[in-house]
Amino acid sequence: MVDYARVSMELEKLRPPKLTGTRPARREKRDRHAQTKVAFFRYGYYDIAFKYFTERVLDAEFVPLPPATRRTLELGSQHSNDFVCAPFKHILGDYLEALELGADVLVQFTGPCRLGYYGEVQESILRDLGYDFQMLNFAVVSGKPATEYVKLCRRTVNPNVSLKQGALEMVTTFRLIECLDAYHDAYLSRAGFAIDPDEPKRLQGSFYRALRATTSRAEVEAAYTAGMEALERMPQRTPADPVRVGIVGEYFTAVDPHSNLNVEDKLLSMGVKVARMLNITNRNLRYNEKNLRASAAPYVRYDMGPTSTLTVAAAKKYAEEGFDGIIHLKSSGCTPEIDCMPVLQRVSRDYGIPVLYLSFDSQTSDTGLDTRLEAFYDMISMRKAAPRTARQAADLRTKEGGDR
Amino acid sequence: MKDAYLGLDTGSISTKGVVVTDDGTIIARSYLWTEGNPTDAAQRVVRELGRQLDQDAYRIRAVGTTGSARRLVGAMLGARVVKNEITAHAVGTTRLHPDVRTILEIGGQDSKIICVDGGIAVDYAMNTLCAAGTGSFLSSQAHRLGLEVKEFGDIALTSKRPANIAARCTVFAESDLVHKIQVGYPREDIVAGLCKAVAMNYLNNVGKGKRIVAPVVFQGGVSKNAGVVRAFEDALGMPVLVDADGHLMGAYGVALLAADAAAEDGAGAPTGEQFTFDVASFQFKTREIECNKCANHCEVICVYQDGEIIDSWGNRCDKGAVKVGRR
Repeated sequence: MVDYARVSMELEKLRPPKLTGTRPARREKRDRHAQTKVAFFRYGYYDIAFKYFTERVLDAEFVPLPPATRRTLELGSQHSNDFVCAPFKHILGDYLEALELGADVLVQFTGPCRLGYYGEVQESILRDLGYDFQMLNFAVVSGKPATEYVKLCRRTVNPNVSLKQGALEMVTTFRLIECLDAYHDAYLSRAGFAIDPDEPKRLQGSFYRALRATTSRAEVEAAYTAGMEALERMPQRTPADPVRVGIVGEYFTAVDPHSNLNVEDKLLSMGVKVARMLNITNRNLRYNEKNLRASAAPYVRYDMGPTSTLTVAAAKKYAEEGFDGIIHLKSSGCTPEIDCMPVLQRVSRDYGIPVLYLSFDSQTSDTGLDTRLEAFYDMISMRKAAPRTARQAADLRTKEGGDR
Repeated sequence: MKDAYLGLDTGSISTKGVVVTDDGTIIARSYLWTEGNPTDAAQRVVRELGRQLDQDAYRIRAVGTTGSARRLVGAMLGARVVKNEITAHAVGTTRLHPDVRTILEIGGQDSKIICVDGGIAVDYAMNTLCAAGTGSFLSSQAHRLGLEVKEFGDIALTSKRPANIAARCTVFAESDLVHKIQVGYPREDIVAGLCKAVAMNYLNNVGKGKRIVAPVVFQGGVSKNAGVVRAFEDALGMPVLVDADGHLMGAYGVALLAADAAAEDGAGAPTGEQFTFDVASFQFKTREIECNKCANHCEVICVYQDGEIIDSWGNRCDKGAVKVGRR
């Protein structure tokens, strides 16, 4: 549909200019920009989309946050309840650092689990600490008509938000997110096999830099095409049958590298082809709960929680596609994902695919994680290297056992 | 001069070492307490292995290290292979028991389960966050009862009615235990109850969701406790095999991996500095440096041999990299 629109716009450009009459006097374009400084929390590479949203949709100033450090989490944990899940602590630490950097407005989304209440709790913690700011918390208008969203943005960030530009640029923001996720999928499947081990990060860095500088749909598309081409051109040595691992799990921890101590990079450096279905594109932009659940049959019959259907459906897909292992990532105490674990154990038995379960809290040492990942990699690669007949017999036995 | 391979497993509680020949026969073995000093323990084990080995007939071609101090000890000994203990245990056990299907392992601080099929590990799990049901829990409870942990097994076997002790959590187990002592339960029933609690805790946590298929091999320090072995047999309804060399399996596995790696390097390939048993007389020191180049404050671990730095790790980026002299 979008392509048709572009074609007709181009046609319009080709129409010859009118030769008669004078051009009507155009009104001076109103400056709608607001100086309000808007900050988000850190969430993987999505800061690029957050920046685009702030500058193009809200037409305000974006506060970029430097990479998170140990201090971020210390700050967040210090002002959080000990039993709250790790994403809360990470986000609170991000907000505190954003306020130090001069942010006027903090943004929080609605979430399908406890995350939906985090904005209000975090706001009241920060107010108790004496900070002065506005909260753009989309949870308070969740489920309401779009006009409520616009009102909220006008009230907290920019009273002059343009409806027309906002709607148009919102579509571009979604497209930007799709580009980021598609690039990351390609990155995960290729970066483990680069001949120069530093090249993937370098290419990724320049792709992100290019996207950060975009201000229109056309620029986003151009940066995406160039980025993907560069990644595809990267010299690599992919084995005929590489070790493949699928990542499933909780919305925040499984996606955010700072929260999961860079699990993806660790796997890539071992020479693994990685896949992760969980991202904003698949969970939000193109999400269809009912159809996804049908694809996860017979393991899920009703909606078990925020990312549960996606976790199980992705695990089943990886198992059917013959992946060598699945890694389940969640924050410690994440109830919906704990509920998924028995289901994953059944998938594991039925298909004979090992699953590694990892929980993250506010730990910063990755020694234990390295041990578990290394052992998991050794196991699945040795299993792969074992003579095919022995493996088939083993798989068969596992399947028979699963039916029992 | 024949080739031999040295494997060293430095755990939190004990340090184990073996020397194996080309065909995987153990020709020297040593087992002693780490006593909170892994470098010293590793040196003592190496010295002991050197005494047992006929050094005119065998030459150590490659060294492998495993256990929680594998990196440190690996740097000390110039190891060819530094491997995690899960892989090492799986490799060692499947070599000695090719038909094994399930490996249970309970050590001083951790416990794991490895499922094996067709001689290859197909699934594993390791305890997280909780030390309940490990060796250190048993030894602290033995201390409370005024017993040696070594006597535990034999005492437990004399019990006819093991006391019920909550297995879920060390704190609950301990309050249950104190209560049962105070109401006068016979000592052997309490000891047997503790052994049962360890087995049940293991099966409910680490073993949860795993299919435990015979033959089952039980390893790690706690496998020397006959009471826990019997509790496992009762709970699983199948025989549980404990090997006399079971505690050495990590060291044995990593020695085999070192042999494989050396074979891959080829017969004539240099395998780094030639290993000598003299390493036991060097001075090793570890220093922790806090990198202050960003707010991460990485703790960089530096290992020195006779005052010269030989290895460092712990930095998350190149800013914290410490130059290491080639040795």
